[in-house]
Amino acid sequence: MTDPLVDIRDLSLWYEKFKALDNISTSFSSGRCVVICGPSGSGKSSLLRCINRLEEFQEGDVLFEGQSLRECPNIAALRSNIGMVFQHFELYPHMSILDNITLAPRHAKGKSKADAEALAHTLLERVDIADQAKKYPAELSGGQQQRAAIARALALEPKLMLFDEPTSALDPEMIVEVLRVMRDLAKDGMTMLVVTHEMVFAREVSDEIIFMDDGKIVERKETDDFFSNPHSKRAQDFLDRILMKI
Amino acid sequence: MDWSVIINNLPFLMKGLWMSVKLATLVVIFAFPLACLIAVGRISTRRWVRYPSAIFVNAMRSNPLILIVFWFFFLVPLITGKPVGDFASVMIGFVVFFSAYFTEIIRSGIQSVGRNQIQAGLSTGLTYFQTMRMIILPQALRNMMPALITECVIVFQGTTIAYVVGLREFLNSTFLITEVTLRPAELYTFAAFVYFVVCFAGSSLARQLEKRQVRT
Ligand SMILES: Nc1ncnc2c1ncn2[C@@H]1O[C@H](COP(=O)(O)OP(=O)(O)OP(=O)(O)O)[C@@H](O)[C@H]1O
Ligand SMILES: [Mg+2]
Repeated sequence: MTDPLVDIRDLSLWYEKFKALDNISTSFSSGRCVVICGPSGSGKSSLLRCINRLEEFQEGDVLFEGQSLRECPNIAALRSNIGMVFQHFELYPHMSILDNITLAPRHAKGKSKADAEALAHTLLERVDIADQAKKYPAELSGGQQQRAAIARALALEPKLMLFDEPTSALDPEMIVEVLRVMRDLAKDGMTMLVVTHEMVFAREVSDEIIFMDDGKIVERKETDDFFSNPHSKRAQDFLDRILMKI
Repeated sequence: MDWSVIINNLPFLMKGLWMSVKLATLVVIFAFPLACLIAVGRISTRRWVRYPSAIFVNAMRSNPLILIVFWFFFLVPLITGKPVGDFASVMIGFVVFFSAYFTEIIRSGIQSVGRNQIQAGLSTGLTYFQTMRMIILPQALRNMMPALITECVIVFQGTTIAYVVGLREFLNSTFLITEVTLRPAELYTFAAFVYFVVCFAGSSLARQLEKRQVRT
């Protein structure tokens, strides 16, 4: 397929009077891992949420596999091809881990209970928490919860995975286990958009890096290029601050 | 004080109590699901859903129960075009009135769950309705259980209003016996005791659930 998987065209988003995304045009191809970074409030989360239309943008359009989101008649069906991972996991606290993972496959994708559970067990194995299936989210560590949340997203058998700061609510030792899962995913060819400040992850795993500021994409480069060549002053300042903290 | 008046009229009084319990139970059974729907409408982003729900809730909450009961008592037969019986007419008034109060409890329960859980559900391809039913409402229900039970107790107390249209619920039955026996002191003391027992049982249950909630 030569078309990009996601094609964003002149996208603008307002919250009331505030313009959070300012005329963004860019695209993402299958099989690539792109990291999005930028200062707080620059619109990274908003951009991710536009890609599965959790946010109703006012101008422009997003095409997913050529399908316009603006004109999409069944947005739920479209979303069931896109996995999303949140900063605070957002597992459903009243369900076991297994039920968390099988819910959407059964009720959004119409899988049978047995099929959904078989898939869930495979995925739990893959994120290394096979023994936690029967437990409730509150009984797991943060790192385990986030890996369960990744398994829940993968259970959609998605064509695209969106990660919104998946490690920023975690303690350092747990960050490692989550990043390892994400690295394996990228290796397996999953298309990924990752909002993160983990520059080590970005450098080692991502193919490209996008730097956002003020609702705009200031810079987009191949990862090696981004780290080796001098870039815009704003991106440079941002990187200095981030890397300083590490 | 002569308590034999209560023993002698116990079957009649218990029939009244049964009427009150039946009315309150049915009101809760019908008002609750209705309130769930209205509450979901109340927080919808779509104006044409949100506004009517808000108007309904505010209209009900700004009127006294007695007026709503009266109003529906005369309105329901007009709408249906044939008599549906006093009990049904009264019940519909109660259901409509209390669904507004249940709506507000459910709404705050839903809002206690948070926007991110909705986004999580939607992001997996569940519809808004599925997300509400399977993810948000169960959590909301858990959070609002104590408030719901308290409201059920209020419904039970509210059924006394049915006497205005002559329905023989518990208080009305007590009143009728008083007319005949002229022993108001004993009878009303007994009625107060019964209401106390039922409502105390309800609020104890609410406390129990609250405790269990903390444990899980
Ligand atoms: N639901 C909302 N309502 C109003 N304003 C919002 C909403 N969500 C985000 N904003 C505003 O839009 C801007 C962009 O927000 P966004 O969350 O996309 O930024 P971000 O780059 O993800 O920031 P962070 O690194 O803090 O997560 C911010 O100024 C934020 O305050
Ligand atoms: Mg964000």
